[in-house]
Amino acid sequence: MIVRLAWRSIWRNRRRTLITIASLALGLAIAIFFIALSEGVHNQVVNEAVRMQAGHITVEHPAYQAAPAVDLFIGGVDRLRRRIDGIEAVEATKLLIRGQGVANSSAGAVGVAVMGVEPSVEAGTSPLARHMVTGSYLEDGDDRKTILGEHLADQLKLTQGSKLVLTTNNARGELVEELCRVKGIFRIGSDEIDGYLVQIPLEFAQRVFGLQPDEATQLGVVLKRPAELEATIGAIKAIEPGDYAAVLPWQAVLPEVASYIRLRRTSTWVFQSLLFIIILFTILNTLLMSVVEREREFAVLLALGTRIVQLRQQLFVESVFIGILGCVAGMLLGGAAALSLQVHGLDLSGFMPEGVTVSGFSVSTTIHALLTPPILLWTGGIAMAAMLVLSLVPMRRIGRLRMTESLR
Amino acid sequence: MAEIVEVSGVTRDYGEGGIMTRALRGVDLVLMAGEFASMAGPSGSGKTTLLNIIGGLDRPTSGTVKIEGRDITRLSGGVLSRLRRDRIGFVFQSYNLIPVLTALENAEYVLMLQNIDKEERRERVMRVLREVGLDGMEHRFPRELSGGQQQRVAIARAILPEPALILADEPTANVDSETGGALMNLLRRLNEEKGITFLFSTHDQAVMKRALRLIRLRDGRIVEDGKPSNG
Repeated sequence: MIVRLAWRSIWRNRRRTLITIASLALGLAIAIFFIALSEGVHNQVVNEAVRMQAGHITVEHPAYQAAPAVDLFIGGVDRLRRRIDGIEAVEATKLLIRGQGVANSSAGAVGVAVMGVEPSVEAGTSPLARHMVTGSYLEDGDDRKTILGEHLADQLKLTQGSKLVLTTNNARGELVEELCRVKGIFRIGSDEIDGYLVQIPLEFAQRVFGLQPDEATQLGVVLKRPAELEATIGAIKAIEPGDYAAVLPWQAVLPEVASYIRLRRTSTWVFQSLLFIIILFTILNTLLMSVVEREREFAVLLALGTRIVQLRQQLFVESVFIGILGCVAGMLLGGAAALSLQVHGLDLSGFMPEGVTVSGFSVSTTIHALLTPPILLWTGGIAMAAMLVLSLVPMRRIGRLRMTESLR
Repeated sequence: MAEIVEVSGVTRDYGEGGIMTRALRGVDLVLMAGEFASMAGPSGSGKTTLLNIIGGLDRPTSGTVKIEGRDITRLSGGVLSRLRRDRIGFVFQSYNLIPVLTALENAEYVLMLQNIDKEERRERVMRVLREVGLDGMEHRFPRELSGGQQQRVAIARAILPEPALILADEPTANVDSETGGALMNLLRRLNEEKGITFLFSTHDQAVMKRALRLIRLRDGRIVEDGKPSNG
């Protein structure tokens, strides 16, 4: 009877109930949409950044993070790589050799980051190969070839086919100089990458830095599903549990990107929460109005022998109904909007013709939302919980009802 | 006959701070089982206040109220709720039916509070609705019923828990005299057939005459208590 009474009571003022449900639904839909949008952007940032680097997971010398140097390499990477490739969540693995050096041309010398890559693997996992403006990306079998950023090329007045001398220290600390030829020039849109990065084939890098074919500074792991990061790290650690190598998530390798995302994620949730709280206040107002209007009726029910707790149950059930209807509508609305943006994307290049970079990594100006079940469930759950907490206010008010005054 | 109601030295003050209104000034009253009593008096004489206090809707400032020998002024809210649910029925001037419940559901509500199973509830409600002349109207909402019919639903709701006492605050005030007469006939019949004690307040001379006992209040005191002049 309480459930029936509650259900019919919420529909006695149909317009008000619909407005309340619509407010809740709209607030929730906006929250879902913007959180999914924010997650989508974060996902793009992470995807671009980690793929430019070693991947979602980096296996490297335990001391490399503290003092990156080419002498902190790991050996026996082929055997380890084969075992990691067997993990289901792994999309690809790649070997990298990263070092510092100086790029010299007839126009001058510039300090650069030298990255030795496996061309075919890198072309499939890194966005760099899609950003060539001159020439082409490296290919397997290329020797003494390099690609470099447009900004760096401008500084050194290099074009496709130009000669470049790389000067660096190898793993034994010896000074080495190697001549190579520019195969292509890329433009990512990030000053740091376009003006600083030089990629060379892995075998050439092993030669330059004095490493053996089975040695690299990083073994990178790209995942099919980033959500499986922790589980995959666990699986890799199970394969290689010793002190031989550190297994690091991308957050440890790219702390500035991780911090940026944490900050953005927090600010998105705070902003959406504030917006939702404002909406909740309007809902609270309508809930209170519906109680004030029915004080006489509640007094009658009390006179008939209804206990306060039963009236509170009725009000609670009313809030549950409104909450369920509002949350389901909000989840459907927000979910549909976010899903649409996830599928079709939104091209913002008209607003940002110069492109967007985050922590030195270029991000596409076509943004896609990323709607995940946790976003739907968390936002829906929080909205429902907020609605139920809100119901405590009218429930408390009913406890202060003065029967004789209300019956007058 | 047993005492159903015993009111002793009841006062009731309203107001806060320095402005106090004394609604009842030392009321003593005893109602025996099966009585059919009416309370009359001008507005502000304390009729409704006394009904509220006897019904446990309000507490006296001083004095005691016993229902079936039990001092209700000392009962907790929960026990008082159960007492109202099981032993006291209320009929209000403006019916006070729950608008979103049908006649049947309004009447059934109190039985639901008593945790009576659905089958028995329905059987009892249908029987009582027949008794009060609402056969065939059980699925109508209050807005679909006339004032007299709504008051019959309210009476059905009051008698369904088989209370010892029914308190009615001006039960015929919102209906025409013919309907009022019919309602009084119904209350009297229920009094005779079920032995329920009735105490109702009224301004209506015709209603007063139908009572077997007339209690007159003025300025918070009982000034007359006896049989109606032509009763």
